Amino acid sequence: MSISVGLNCPACGGAIQISEGENVLSCNYCGSLLWAEGDAGVMTVAFRNVQGRDAVLRATEEWWRKGLKARDLRTKGKLLECYPIYLPFWSTTTRVAGWICGYEERRHTDRNGNTRTERIPKEEMVLHDYRYTNIACDPGDLGIKYLRNMVGEASFADFESIPTFESTTSKDDMVEMSKQNALSDARSDANVPHITFEKVTAIPKHINQIFYPVWVVRYSYGERMYMATVDGVTGQVLSGRAPGDALYQSLAMTGGTSVSGLIAAGSLAIGIGTGEGAVAIIGLVIGAVILGFTYRFFRHGSEMIEGDFDDKRSSNLAKELQKGLKFNLGGFRT
Amino acid sequence: MKVVQIKCPRCQQPIYSKVKDRAFYCGHCRTMHIRNGGPNVIDFDIGEFNINAPPDRVYMPFWRLFSTISINRSKVSGGNFHKLGRMIKGDAKGGNLFIYVPAWETDVNEFKHWSMEFTENQPMYSLRPDFNNVERGATSVSKEEAMQMADFVIVTMEAERPGVLQYLDYGLQVHDARLVYLPFVRGTSGLAPGL
Repeated sequence: MSISVGLNCPACGGAIQISEGENVLSCNYCGSLLWAEGDAGVMTVAFRNVQGRDAVLRATEEWWRKGLKARDLRTKGKLLECYPIYLPFWSTTTRVAGWICGYEERRHTDRNGNTRTERIPKEEMVLHDYRYTNIACDPGDLGIKYLRNMVGEASFADFESIPTFESTTSKDDMVEMSKQNALSDARSDANVPHITFEKVTAIPKHINQIFYPVWVVRYSYGERMYMATVDGVTGQVLSGRAPGDALYQSLAMTGGTSVSGLIAAGSLAIGIGTGEGAVAIIGLVIGAVILGFTYRFFRHGSEMIEGDFDDKRSSNLAKELQKGLKFNLGGFRT
Repeated sequence: MKVVQIKCPRCQQPIYSKVKDRAFYCGHCRTMHIRNGGPNVIDFDIGEFNINAPPDRVYMPFWRLFSTISINRSKVSGGNFHKLGRMIKGDAKGGNLFIYVPAWETDVNEFKHWSMEFTENQPMYSLRPDFNNVERGATSVSKEEAMQMADFVIVTMEAERPGVLQYLDYGLQVHDARLVYLPFVRGTSGLAPGL
């Protein structure tokens, strides 16, 4: 997992490459040791845009076919504009080292119904490198907050021709946020329910600024305008809004209400018949939950949303990446 | 972003190496420097090999942290052996201690092993002025990072003793960090001290 940055050796002019997070390198041609440094200790790299307009439009049309989007989107959707931009991201690596001690409690119940609580002491070592990314500007309605891909060729060659968003968030804020996230994740990984002693240190190791190419595709469907974004390196759709399908909404409503009604009524009948009140209550709860999901889909199914939107109503990738792209490197050597 | 050739801050000779090392050693004037913003010349020690040490020799870098530690209270479930108290030079509750932090890129177990091994059994060695053409391991841990790892080493030593650590109230102050190259020998089972 590295970004290769094409540079030239200041001693011999030979081509050199540096991986993300490193600032010491050796020239393969003359053997000089070299030191790479960025402004205020921040190394800045830009991924090269390798996707063309045609490939981006194909990826968008492919995305239209997936999920519960309107079935006629491929025929009625009209592509209006498609252009690349560079978005700035912060990328950090934070090492967490320490110990979290405490105990967990386990309850045992014997045949007579007596409950005994056993306290099991725990001491957990934490020694991990945590990596996070976060967008360094206001993403507006793009639905992109985190960087998902870290493999590609880095080059500033496209900087002249592609509009670039400037960073509006500070490096110090990102470092602090990464430390807090790393400590929180480390505590979570240690899994000590009751903590009696904790000595954990978060050590910032690297911070880089990464400019990443993203294609913005705008299209219309019926009277409404929609948008999708496509990764300029991998060609995958990152985020977007698309029209839903009325048929799917109707089917979900009909099926959902029927299933929830059957479960609720069935469990109620069984519960009353057998005298088991718990069965009736569980059935009613399950029925209510299914009905809730059904209503949610019916209510919001007119628009499918994918990406890191704050007002997101549909399930998608962003939930699993809530805290940013987190690479648990699992130790020192990566 | 700019890339500069690393030169010795004392004699201005370029430094050549195929190894990515954060501690830059000038073979011309025997100066070691690190970079943190600008170049900083640092003092360092090189330990002499035992004359009987096998030939596959290598110097491995450690940050030796001169520290003062005081232990106020410790609670262990299922054990009462006090490991730290034995090693501190001073009274049983506090005193001075050299903490050794491996400065090369290690895995977790190797890091724990060598930091505890040398902090617990302080290495005795005579100094030599150069590396005598013996290979040296690359330094990847910065001085600041090593100083922040001191707490981890101290708590690890207490946690690794018999029983399960439940509480440790201690004070730790790191006064100074020095890069120390200790002699090692490569064997079939990994590195072994060559002191």
